[in-house]
Amino acid sequence: MSVDAKPTATLPQYVGARVLRVEDPEFLMGRAKYLDDITLPDMLHAAFVRSPVPHAEIVNVDIEAAQALDGVVAIYTAADIEANTTGPFVTALPRDEIMPVTRPLLASDRVRFVGEPIAVIVATSRYIAEDAAALVEIDFKDLGVVTNAEHGLTEDAVQLHDDVPGNNIAHIEFDSGDVDRVFDEAPHVFSKRFHIGRVTAAPLEGRGVIANYNPGADHLTIWSSTQMPHFARTLLAGTLGMAEKKMRVIAPAVGGGFGVKSCLFPEEAVIPVASRLLSRPVKWAEDRQEALSSSAHAKEIIMDLDIAVDDEGTFLAFRGNYVGDAGAYAIFPWTSLVDPLLAADVVAGIYDVRHVSYKVDSVLTNKCPAGPYRATGQTGGYLLRDSLIDDIARAMDIDPVELRLKNCIGNEPYVTATGFRYDGGSYAESIRKVCDMIGYDKLREEQAELRKEGRYLGIGVAPYVEPTAWGSKSAQKHGFPAEFYDSASVTVEPDGSVNVTVGTQSHGQGHVTSLAQVAADQLGVRLEDVKVLDSDSDTAVYGAGTFMSRTAVVSGGSIMRAAADVRERILALAGQELEVNPSDLEISNSTITVKGSPGKSMTVAEVSAVAYFGGERRGEVETLTSTRYYDPPETYSNGVIAAVVEVDVETGHVKMRHFAAVEDCGTMLNPMIIEGQVAGALAQGVGIALLENAVYDEQGQFNTASLMDYLYPSSNEVPTMDLAHLVTPSDVSEGGIKGMGEGGLVGSPVAVVNAVADALSPFGVTINSTPLRPADVLAKIEAAQAGNGGR
Amino acid sequence: MSVQETSTDAQDDLVVQVRVNGESRRGFAEPRTLLSDFLRHELGLTGTHVGCEHGVCGACTVLIDGEPVRSCLMFAVQAGGKEIETVEGLAKGAEMHPIQQAFQENHALQCAFCTPGFLMTVSALLDTNPDPSEDEIREYLSGNVCRCTGYVGIVAAVQSAAKKLRDQGGTADER
Amino acid sequence: MKPAPFKYVVPDTVDEVLALQAEHEDEAKVLAGGQSLVALMNFRMAQPSVLIDLNGLTSLSGIENGGPVIEIKALTRQLEVERSATMTALPIVAEALRHVAHVAIRARGTFGGNIAHADPASELPALMLALEAEMVATGPDGERVIPAADFFKGYFTTSLEPTEILTSVRIPTKQPGAWAFMELARRHGDFALAGVATLLDVEDGRCRSARIALFGVADTPVRATEAEAFLVGKDPVGEVLEEAARITAEALNPSSDIHAPGAYRKKLSSVLVKRAVTAALNRGDMG
Repeated sequence: MSVDAKPTATLPQYVGARVLRVEDPEFLMGRAKYLDDITLPDMLHAAFVRSPVPHAEIVNVDIEAAQALDGVVAIYTAADIEANTTGPFVTALPRDEIMPVTRPLLASDRVRFVGEPIAVIVATSRYIAEDAAALVEIDFKDLGVVTNAEHGLTEDAVQLHDDVPGNNIAHIEFDSGDVDRVFDEAPHVFSKRFHIGRVTAAPLEGRGVIANYNPGADHLTIWSSTQMPHFARTLLAGTLGMAEKKMRVIAPAVGGGFGVKSCLFPEEAVIPVASRLLSRPVKWAEDRQEALSSSAHAKEIIMDLDIAVDDEGTFLAFRGNYVGDAGAYAIFPWTSLVDPLLAADVVAGIYDVRHVSYKVDSVLTNKCPAGPYRATGQTGGYLLRDSLIDDIARAMDIDPVELRLKNCIGNEPYVTATGFRYDGGSYAESIRKVCDMIGYDKLREEQAELRKEGRYLGIGVAPYVEPTAWGSKSAQKHGFPAEFYDSASVTVEPDGSVNVTVGTQSHGQGHVTSLAQVAADQLGVRLEDVKVLDSDSDTAVYGAGTFMSRTAVVSGGSIMRAAADVRERILALAGQELEVNPSDLEISNSTITVKGSPGKSMTVAEVSAVAYFGGERRGEVETLTSTRYYDPPETYSNGVIAAVVEVDVETGHVKMRHFAAVEDCGTMLNPMIIEGQVAGALAQGVGIALLENAVYDEQGQFNTASLMDYLYPSSNEVPTMDLAHLVTPSDVSEGGIKGMGEGGLVGSPVAVVNAVADALSPFGVTINSTPLRPADVLAKIEAAQAGNGGR
Repeated sequence: MSVQETSTDAQDDLVVQVRVNGESRRGFAEPRTLLSDFLRHELGLTGTHVGCEHGVCGACTVLIDGEPVRSCLMFAVQAGGKEIETVEGLAKGAEMHPIQQAFQENHALQCAFCTPGFLMTVSALLDTNPDPSEDEIREYLSGNVCRCTGYVGIVAAVQSAAKKLRDQGGTADER
Repeated sequence: MKPAPFKYVVPDTVDEVLALQAEHEDEAKVLAGGQSLVALMNFRMAQPSVLIDLNGLTSLSGIENGGPVIEIKALTRQLEVERSATMTALPIVAEALRHVAHVAIRARGTFGGNIAHADPASELPALMLALEAEMVATGPDGERVIPAADFFKGYFTTSLEPTEILTSVRIPTKQPGAWAFMELARRHGDFALAGVATLLDVEDGRCRSARIALFGVADTPVRATEAEAFLVGKDPVGEVLEEAARITAEALNPSSDIHAPGAYRKKLSSVLVKRAVTAALNRGDMG
């Protein structure tokens, strides 16, 4: 670990403290305004007519009966939208391997998944809009379906897009060198196939858009439940053919995102078009059926991995194949590669393996498009690799924790075979710590005792490295050639209070608290003197939004830089006023004091009064405001999840007993918020491992459009948790901060799956799919018994 | 039969009179208007959230005559004459209810979309069971879904709120 | 997800309900607690043009202990039944109710509504079979008493005539002494993958009578009649119990859905029967 970069040592009070969230009272009192809480005068309500069929030519759309319904103001179909936009969404990345995919804003000649929008009804109420939607009659001509990504690659598969021959959005290969030779010479090769089930992020608040076009000002205000208001404005400006200055995008209170709201959806363009055509505000609030069938799905990949191992259990090489199920379109603007490419490229994890190769495909199917969902790609990649590592441990009779420690990299910065530079971590130490927390050795004894009673306890331990701080450098390193711009402004107001604005977006992560902690410390002011504002393209400075564990680093870093500028100006002014050299001054608790002369001081408010109203006393200081940009280097958090389960071998039911987790995200802004992020991700991991699945039948019909079918974990399924921290500040980022928030979902599904396999190790069970319904677990046990004659 | 005094025409608005958070409120509703929509869009009480509209997620939970109820599974007209409590009624001015305080202190909310439903459910729980065990809390709250917190903070907040309320000798309702 | 329009009527008497049903026939639906119906209406899977709200019928709510039977009026809220002091005489009822969804659903959902809805995966219909309860239907010709065994006819289908409504449920208070109620759901409060209610009369290690009712395994709740008969006169443990469980499952042919294949439900039924019978024996007498 490098020693010259431990700014935590010099950061005083607020950073690192369990500061209660300043935004909570408004939420707790029910006063925060989410999208559907906003009502504008003269507002209309929209409902979408969506495809009931998975893949068909649209022969005719008859809106006559719907149009005649009292209260219906307008009905728009593809032609209306095409005439009022610059074109469809075209998702592309500047890489030769990747085919651009075109997504119409409303389907015109063809639908490609159940739930695809075909028309929009605008009416005086949502109730009437839905009445009218039910009256639209559409004739379809069936085109046959692809419902499995591997089938989609076959020669006789139905083709989804004429301009994407073979249904494959991208075929990408990576090879670090001598992989095949190492496999040929290796004493042991272990292989496994894993099919991670299709899921959806399903934040409790769905998507939603309100657009209000003011024809007098030729100005469009858009409220969208989005994780990226500024970037949405940039993208929409292109689609709507409007200057960004004529558009304001506001993300109101956002009821969760988890990645799904970091995409731009057709509805976000269609509703503004409707408002522009009608010169009235129009609202669309997604309902749960739409959210489950038509927003974005995630994570489904069919994967294979080979691991070459020597006689001592040292991993020699990894060779993987990842076939992602993209759904019917490439999600805009990120592409469907967010799953299979990230699943593949994190294959090294904490393991010191120099020979790595992988192949990635992203295949079009007649399903809802797949997009980012917390720990995008990585959840699947880790399920595959770490469940195979547990299989290897059992086959070689090595304790799975020991096998991981044996192959673990050191704590110092490390460059992987895939070219990522880890900025230092507690890779082995975190594993040891989590084992202490769960009492690993004692649990193994308990496991042995319980087995004698016919009870099956299992332990799964999954360490991870999480790529964070998605800026230009992280994105490019991980195969997404894009440039990002993120900034923060810091302004000391005349009374000495501080306004901070950022281009990221808080939808539950508590940024307005944790970023205020950063600003307060950097300026030397009281936390209560700072307000952080985000989520509004007119009032907050530009940024790409919040996703991929980036905000603490990009906004934290931008704020540190801007606040340092402002602090310097405060000190310059105070130096003039107090007639001392600014270098002899320090700021703390919103007061500037002279080192060694405690009697001589000024408050920040007094300095600010001079800056605003002091006339010539200002001297060289023009403003107490600064806007700074920060595009961080790659940073990587690490951590480990331990899951303890008990499996009922007669019913296949898995009872979650306990989770323990260690998170090392470098300099901690607010441990309470960090723990909240970890806990939430672990719960989602229970969902992925055991409960949640977006299911299509073989005809392409969607079978899980209700929460009776798509199963969120409740307080009864999510177990108790024990959460702890290690701190290895980044040696490259501002303040040593690393991003966090996704690691829990990188590691928890495989921790649970491995715990189940561990519980069932007397039966010789291997697990290769999620979710594990009781029926699946029982089938595994029975198959293993049939194979080897029982225990 | 009240068919005469209501309307026989499905689309006509009816007058609905309820007591919400101790105040008498009137508004218009079609027969099919869900209570959740009536509270939110007719009475402007948008603290009650709508997460699924089929009774699974619990975000729209309010108290009706003291019992927790899904407001998305009732028609507004059915609430006529009832006593409804929503999240807006918990705090006294700027002073949060002990349950709300406990939620803040235990980081029991993140995006907070589920929070009002949880608060009302917890209020009902602590009214009937002032000292619930962790198992009882998890069982009682299992009809409310939180996608953010993993329930860790929520369970801790309920334990803390229960203690606060016991210490001050009041119930969740009359502290 | 907003319901289609309907005409809404709140009758004050059962006679008015019956008149409305006669007038509107299958255009009308009755609304009790609405915890299933309103959800279906929000999905527009149910679109009645007339909704007859029974919640004005205060006479249809309450629990009466009539000695040999406890009569639960159809509109009594499930939570009220669960908490009722009267029902402590039949503890299996409160135990079963605790498996019905969640508190907020039970606070509104009615006892009779759940039974008349006849979801084969629901707890109360199977419980009624196990308790050999009687359903009281009221129609144009007055009251008609239907044994639970004759009440459930298929998916969401009962022997109620379109002109009738369920007005109360009568449960005999004299029940076999040992009981258990068990189910397995993927998620707490959801409809079970399979479940069982059992009541046993055991004396000196011999089963004098056995009742085993299952739910979630067919288009109606079902009694495991062959297994019940097999157990009579035997000590329901060990291999006897194994055989009873096997007989139970053998008679079933459950269908598949996204939560489990039918074959799994069949196996699960046999496991649950073993466990429920064992739990009933361990618990001993009612109470």
